Amino acid sequence: MADINYLPGKEPHAREHRMIFRNVDRAGWDTSIATYLKEGGYEQLKAALKMEPKAVTEEVKKAGVRGRGGAGFPAGLKWTFIPPNNTKPVYLICNADESEPGTFKDRYIIHQDPHQLIEGMAIACFAVGAKLAYIYIREEFPEGAKILEKAIAEAREKGFLGKNIQGTGFDLEIYVHRGAGAYICGEETGLIESLEGKRPYPRIKPPYFPAAMGLYLCPTIVNNVETLCHVKHIIQMGGDEYAKLGTPNNTGTRILCVSGDVQKPGYFEVQVGKVTMGELIHDMCGGLKPGRKLKAVIPGGSSAKVLRGGEVFKIKRGDAMVDVSLEDIPMDFDTLAACGSMAGSGGVIVIDDSRSISWVLNNLNAFYAHESCGQCTPCREGSLWMKKITDRLVAGQGAPGDIDTLDSVARQIDGRTICAFGEACSWPTEAFVAKFRDELVADTNPGTADAIVNRETLLAAANLAQ
Amino acid sequence: MVSLTAKTVAYIDGSAYEMEPGDTILKFVDRHVGRGHVPTLCDAPQLEPYGACRVCSVEIALTADGPRRVVASCHTPLTENLHIFTESKNVRDLRRNIVELVLTDHPLDCLTCEVNGNCELQTVAAKVGIRKVRYPEGKNHLDRTKDLSHPYMTSDLSKCINCSRCVRACDEVQGQMVLSMHGRGFNARIIKGLDTSFAESDCVSCGACAQACPTSAISDVHQSKAIEATDSTRTVCTYCGVGCNLEVKTKGNEVLGITAPVGAEVNNAHTCLKGRYAFKFYNHPDRLRKPLVRYNGHFEEVSWDEAYDYIAKRLGEIKTQHGPDAIAGISSARCTNEENYLMQKFIRAVIGTNNIDCCARVCHSPTAFGMQKSFGTGAATNSVVDLQYTDCILIIGANPTEGHPVTGAKIKQRLMKGVTGIVIDPRRIELVPYAKHHLQLRPGTNVALLNMFAYYIWEAGLVDREFIEKRCENWADFENGLRSLDLDELERIHGVDREQVKAAALDYARAEAAMEFHGLGVTEHSQGAKTVMLIANLAMMTGNIGRPGCGVNPLRGQNNVQGAADMGCQPHQGAGYMPVDDPQWHETYEKFYGMPVSDEIGYKIPQMFEAAREGKLKALWLMGEDVVQTDPNSEAVKEAMNALDFLVVQEIFMTETAQYADVVLPAASFLEKSGTFTNAERRVQRVQAAVEPLPGTKPDGQILVEIMNRMGYPQPDYTPEGMLAEIAQIVPFFKGATWDGLGDNGKQWPIQEGNVGTAIMHVGQFKRGLGKFHFFPFRESEELVAHGKEFPFILTTGRLLEHYNCGTMTRRTGNGRIVTKDVLAVNPADAARKGIEDGDHVRIVSARGEVILEAQVTDEVKPGVVFTTFHFPEHLVNNVTSDVHCDDTLCPEYKITAVDIEKVLDEPGRQVHSSRIVPAEVFAK
Repeated sequence: MADINYLPGKEPHAREHRMIFRNVDRAGWDTSIATYLKEGGYEQLKAALKMEPKAVTEEVKKAGVRGRGGAGFPAGLKWTFIPPNNTKPVYLICNADESEPGTFKDRYIIHQDPHQLIEGMAIACFAVGAKLAYIYIREEFPEGAKILEKAIAEAREKGFLGKNIQGTGFDLEIYVHRGAGAYICGEETGLIESLEGKRPYPRIKPPYFPAAMGLYLCPTIVNNVETLCHVKHIIQMGGDEYAKLGTPNNTGTRILCVSGDVQKPGYFEVQVGKVTMGELIHDMCGGLKPGRKLKAVIPGGSSAKVLRGGEVFKIKRGDAMVDVSLEDIPMDFDTLAACGSMAGSGGVIVIDDSRSISWVLNNLNAFYAHESCGQCTPCREGSLWMKKITDRLVAGQGAPGDIDTLDSVARQIDGRTICAFGEACSWPTEAFVAKFRDELVADTNPGTADAIVNRETLLAAANLAQ
Repeated sequence: MVSLTAKTVAYIDGSAYEMEPGDTILKFVDRHVGRGHVPTLCDAPQLEPYGACRVCSVEIALTADGPRRVVASCHTPLTENLHIFTESKNVRDLRRNIVELVLTDHPLDCLTCEVNGNCELQTVAAKVGIRKVRYPEGKNHLDRTKDLSHPYMTSDLSKCINCSRCVRACDEVQGQMVLSMHGRGFNARIIKGLDTSFAESDCVSCGACAQACPTSAISDVHQSKAIEATDSTRTVCTYCGVGCNLEVKTKGNEVLGITAPVGAEVNNAHTCLKGRYAFKFYNHPDRLRKPLVRYNGHFEEVSWDEAYDYIAKRLGEIKTQHGPDAIAGISSARCTNEENYLMQKFIRAVIGTNNIDCCARVCHSPTAFGMQKSFGTGAATNSVVDLQYTDCILIIGANPTEGHPVTGAKIKQRLMKGVTGIVIDPRRIELVPYAKHHLQLRPGTNVALLNMFAYYIWEAGLVDREFIEKRCENWADFENGLRSLDLDELERIHGVDREQVKAAALDYARAEAAMEFHGLGVTEHSQGAKTVMLIANLAMMTGNIGRPGCGVNPLRGQNNVQGAADMGCQPHQGAGYMPVDDPQWHETYEKFYGMPVSDEIGYKIPQMFEAAREGKLKALWLMGEDVVQTDPNSEAVKEAMNALDFLVVQEIFMTETAQYADVVLPAASFLEKSGTFTNAERRVQRVQAAVEPLPGTKPDGQILVEIMNRMGYPQPDYTPEGMLAEIAQIVPFFKGATWDGLGDNGKQWPIQEGNVGTAIMHVGQFKRGLGKFHFFPFRESEELVAHGKEFPFILTTGRLLEHYNCGTMTRRTGNGRIVTKDVLAVNPADAARKGIEDGDHVRIVSARGEVILEAQVTDEVKPGVVFTTFHFPEHLVNNVTSDVHCDDTLCPEYKITAVDIEKVLDEPGRQVHSSRIVPAEVFAK
């Protein structure tokens, strides 16, 4: 990458491996197709179009790239879930509803390198047989939507989109669809409902697995922006070569977004698992603020379970169980999962000892209470009650029983809802209570009575009804 | 999917039970252990699984001791050998926690709540054992205000638990999309339309939401979910040919509310505002309560005995003086099969004439005639449930969402799911936006359009030759007819671009199964019966007969218009459609009735009026038919009534026609009588009295039995069982029907021994042997030929959801406050040309008379066409309608009148009927 110059002060860290973000913050780079073409743009699309669609999917499977949106599901495998005897149209949707707190990577791709995304999408569409694709972009990215519109128009003009692309007979249209400002639209079935013009209530699974019954009840592949960009590089390198990046089962690169109590927050593209948490925080991000101690890290977007500073995890390495301290955790999918959390969307939130845990948890609870779509009872009612309880803790009004109540509310949401929002909103509480119970208890006020409301009127009536 | 034959099991709390294909865990548990064993708040049997409340969570495991996992039972498919744990501590805690959270935002006024004792939240709370709520009072929605804006629908959203059942009922059951959820999370709330009141929204008051709501958040003014009622009676609605089953809730002798039974085959938990809410006519102060006899020009209240004696004497005199053929009867398609059977038996066996007809004459007589000619049977070939199996729905001259709301909603649901829809109608009806094709033809040109439709199927080689060769006759004639068509001429006649016709025809022909529905827009034309035969051609030439998802299916207007004809209320055919002039059948009837009967075909309704005016018909007996208001060319009908020597009317209200009567007999309404109705899909269903007849009134069947006996015929007393048994002996397709055997959902005729019904007719072979093709060239209506130049607009008529025919019943209910008048739909271009604006008063003039209506400027009609409804007879729309009838059946051509329109000013002294609001005292409570 010696020939690439970056803007002053925006140079990549030496531990980085810039691939997706190769052109982000690059001096002399712009979003025009002319610039993109000068560096071999759309060559991978041309190459892919000469392959069999199945062969493209095969390369992506070999590459082992896992979804960068949060769930970490192997992308190539996902593509094969389209029913083999399908006769309906197939759709591809790019999920650009990047809204997980602590995550800020897709927006840079869209803002600075839109053609990389379009090329990746075009290859993916060719592989899965989609002739129509949508980019669902969150409302808060108006500029991104404009850039994409312009890029799509340019690509169409140059024959990379539209009818009979590059004379191969492959047709593809991509449309940009702007959201209206709801976190739930990042959930793939909620996104599909929204795209259909409906309220983004996530769909029940079964039966509505998108690969079989997605958009307009047709097979639909939903991939994250970053994931789709990887497709281009997989075609360029070949699946086997790509799989050499990163670590086994955690291949490729990924963009980590670090925010919170570090000297230099920002985004870093690294090979998956080749950088540890400690290296990320203390080296790449310039360490904690002076005199501060690491209290906690949320490693994969705000819904990932929190890890405690100084915590030691027992994980399996080969056949042995080994102790790994927080700072030695390699930033990959499997290790973070083994530590009880997740790599999620790549958003690393660092919390130092200046923060009150009640305040941090309340901040998260406020977000989730605001974003619950309201469809499932446990989440609609529970997310608000979790916030109400942490509101009280922050105000010093918590009752001694509140922490148990908080935990029980979370546990009755977790796994008890239609979509993964239930986990997203309950995991922070579950994890914070598990790891910082003492501190939360310390924020309760022994003088406050436990709140129990007897519903005698109702009960009398209910018993009457029996 | 589990195979049907292999017996597969799953386990509920350790016990094995048999699975059924398509089972979800909840369905499975409901069936074997009982609904409610696994509690739920958001699931309802009439709705798709939703999975949102999570109260129905259960634990499942692959083996008895295997690792368990919690799932929502309502949407999780059952798998073989699955172990389901419905009462583990884990799920009990989960349920309790959820309900506890729900109760943090629910009022505590159970004891004064209208659904106390019938509230699903209350039941679930009791079931899961809530004893305390751990959350302090916080922000809540208890202060939401009630919405009492609507004549029927009410809401009190402080009681709402956000289960979305109402929203889903509005979407999935009715398809109106009026209700939706607004805001998110804790702020999510139900809204109507764009957050308006029920009254201001597009709500059609079907009440599906109120029935689906587990609490009293959405309810109705009758408080139908309250437990005040002590009895409940399952019966059948009297408002249209769909035949919705109703659950009538009563206390003492009072109807408190009506709901739609869950699981009813016709209308699973659904019905329209007429069936569900428009019942308050039944004890309206206007109900007739005493027999009336006109002595010296004035009605006097008399006893039943006196009335019967008087009738027997007068009819006896007339019969002696003028012969039995001077007497006629008009039966009612509103009444039961048994009553219709008795009516024709009375006229045939007691009076001794075939002068019996019914209101099928003015609606679907062309269907019965045409389908008999083509197939051998004048009834729907298929069932409404076939909508599930069809790929293409062809709707001709029908507006099902208004006229047949539950079937209309089902069609709309299918169209929304992507089934190809073809609407052939001069108006842009509600289904048009959901349909792929709308062929907006000029009124009266069905024959031209359908000929072209058939031509394109033939031209494209999409004719099912094998079906035709095996099962039909006269194809060559028909093919020659198609060959002779002049497409330019046809296109000019019907006014629809031929490419549009072609595209629709090809879609119909290419569909795996294509299903046709038609209404009075087909029949009420001079070429009505011919149009029906052309429709039959389409079905035969594409092989769309005798299998699921296809056929020719008339949407019958009245609740028992099928049955009235089945029972023989026609002048040419007796009970069971046997020709009265056939010697063999004549003998059969004479033997069966034990009396001599006539073998001469009698008068059809229009012929009766003509005979009366000519002095040939002296006496007429009308059962539940207001001919003065509803038959075309009212002045001529009145003339006929005046010309009669003797008119008997059985009625529930003092109608316009009853005013002309010599004797008025106070009858009972459908809520007060028992018998059977046959719906449009030949389904014979039990009508069961929910309340006693009002004091002084009698069910029509009872009246007929009594007068028959009074006139010397030994007719056994009226019981529904006994009457049905008698009918089963003479009507071949009722052979196997018994009262008990009909069960809750009735049986579709032909009913074989053992109450075995028939869902699809003409399987393998047509009733008449071979299906017959007919070709007819288009012929312009005489009305337009004679008057089209002078009166350049075509007036066509139809009905609205809210009212039933001339409104005798519906206008005495809250429906009268929802729609208060008939209006005239005028195309904007015509309106501009004539200087007419929305709301202006417009005079409509025809060769026979004139009426004044309020204008509604709308592009639902094409230029040159105006449309109105006929629910408000005081607007006298039938003053302008014509005397032209169907060539074959004398069904009046209500759908075409040559008129001119002009704006009129509200001059003093001129009565402008259109703005007349029904006086408040007309409504019950």
